[in-house]
Amino acid sequence: MIAAIHNIYKTYHDSDQLIEVLRGTSLEIEERDFICITGKSGSGKSTLLHILGLLDSPDSGDLEISGRKISSLMSDAALIRNRNLGFVFQFHYLVEDLTASENVALPLLIAGESATASLAQARELLIHLGLEQRLNRYPNQLSGGEQQRIALARALVNKPAMVLADEPTGNLDPGHSKDVWDLMYRLNSELGQAFVIVTHDVEAAAKAPKSFELAEGVLIPR
Amino acid sequence: MDRLEAFFLSKYLQAPKRNLFRFSFVFMVLGIVLSVGILSAGLNLFEGYESTLRNLLLDSFAHISVQSSDSAYLSREQAQEAIAKLNKHKEVLSVIPSIHYPLMAQSGTKIRNANLRAYDFAGEFPYAKYIENYPGELQESEIVIGHYLATEMGLQPGDNVSLIYPQLDRISPLGIYNGQQSFKIAGLYRSGYYENDRSIIIANISDAEQLLLITNSISKLEIRIRNPQQARELAKGLSAILGSQYTCISWDLYASSLLRLVEMEKWLIFIVFTFLVLIAGFNVISSVSTIIIDKGNEIAVLKTLGANAKSIKRIYAYKVGMVAILSVVIGQAFGAFLSWVVEKQTFYRLKGDVYFIDTIGASITPFNLLAVFVVASLLISLCIYLPLRQIDRIQIISLFRQNT
Repeated sequence: MIAAIHNIYKTYHDSDQLIEVLRGTSLEIEERDFICITGKSGSGKSTLLHILGLLDSPDSGDLEISGRKISSLMSDAALIRNRNLGFVFQFHYLVEDLTASENVALPLLIAGESATASLAQARELLIHLGLEQRLNRYPNQLSGGEQQRIALARALVNKPAMVLADEPTGNLDPGHSKDVWDLMYRLNSELGQAFVIVTHDVEAAAKAPKSFELAEGVLIPR
Repeated sequence: MDRLEAFFLSKYLQAPKRNLFRFSFVFMVLGIVLSVGILSAGLNLFEGYESTLRNLLLDSFAHISVQSSDSAYLSREQAQEAIAKLNKHKEVLSVIPSIHYPLMAQSGTKIRNANLRAYDFAGEFPYAKYIENYPGELQESEIVIGHYLATEMGLQPGDNVSLIYPQLDRISPLGIYNGQQSFKIAGLYRSGYYENDRSIIIANISDAEQLLLITNSISKLEIRIRNPQQARELAKGLSAILGSQYTCISWDLYASSLLRLVEMEKWLIFIVFTFLVLIAGFNVISSVSTIIIDKGNEIAVLKTLGANAKSIKRIYAYKVGMVAILSVVIGQAFGAFLSWVVEKQTFYRLKGDVYFIDTIGASITPFNLLAVFVVASLLISLCIYLPLRQIDRIQIISLFRQNT
């Protein structure tokens, strides 16, 4: 098991109202898992992913990564994120001043690797993903699908144990969306990283080996 | 500096056009360039004023004057003896005997007070460069007068003017006996130092002796030395050499308070104009705040990928800092240009009776360049640092939620 959450509770304050989005949610993620989580808007899917990615803290409950109890408030939370987790968001959030390969190299640079080694690894991965023509393009010179594939490469370059994707195809047209899904399946199979994907795309999620629906604050297997 | 910061820094240096020249920086750059330009120009002009005034004082007066301790005049024999001793000193460049005396100049109904300075033109004459069309030496009954004095009295070279010497020690039953003699104006003295240009009258020692009714006497020895900054110490040394019957007075005894005042004014101007840079700093704060808002997602992603807030702050500090420092340098160049324009313009001249000199000069010194650069850079750096602290408070989650 590479990560797990146990009995997670999370409540938000909305004006004078308390919204309990997670009510004792639990999930275990094994190596090479490909997990899709669906649910209605506001059901807490992204919150769950953020807690799993140490970007948010639960009100109660435990989070384990590689057998160690972790909290987003720990001083080394950023280091754990850099070494163990990869992130893909609905928007690509690429740094506009950097080329595709430079964007992909960022996690390695943050980890302290040299620029030369980081860029070499980034280029290798982008070539593996069929983006060799886009290595030196800036984000505004890329299509939406290419931007998201580069964001996916950025999430994978430091070989994390788990990739967390929040609506990775939410901004793409059906053609590009299918490309990204295919790529995620391919990378999961080739590179062995676990994928936890939050999506509204029920049809795509149904094809995943493990699929859950987040309803009433708990995960229901589908 | 960690690897991430070094990477971004090299990126900014390799492709400055893409990474640093942004529209959001325009007003920041303009503010810095203008404020630093004005600060630099102000300092350059004050430095120029101080330097021109100092040079004119050094050029227009003796660096050290030697007078008799107990009488108004030195005899020629005393003077020759003193000159022989003074010329042996390695710091002494020249020693010139001279007569100085206040008197009046009259032309028609116009009478002005003036200062007579008489020299022996046989030797070196240090003030020749300030005399327009200097003939080499003055003939008998020829004088040179300050150009402002000539203008006030409506005189020009070739005209005659009467010099009147009120002899207070020769009072007759009819009143004070005035020595009076007519002289031909051989040239005009124009040094730029208003006091001299307004009052000086240069004559031959023989003519002065005749006018003042003295013989074989001079009033002082004018000494020029290698390093005028050490005049005060050297004057003490020369006094010891010459003995107690002579008094040595250094130039800065009269001028030091004036030069200190000018220097103090220069640094006051520096402090006042530094506030302009501070005001330009508000634009910097605004630009950095805008960047933090614009780049909120990038900042959030960098934090998500594991970058710490300190590194992210430095990355943006380098970006804005490089533009700001470049703006400071451009501002200094602009300041130099402004100083040059002010120096070269001809439609405004200083009022000599107020500012001692009538020309505006600029002087760019390495120390002033460094002072402006350091002060402006420190102020701008502070204005960059203050808003960057917002990055510490950026919540990754709240930024991502805003976009979903």
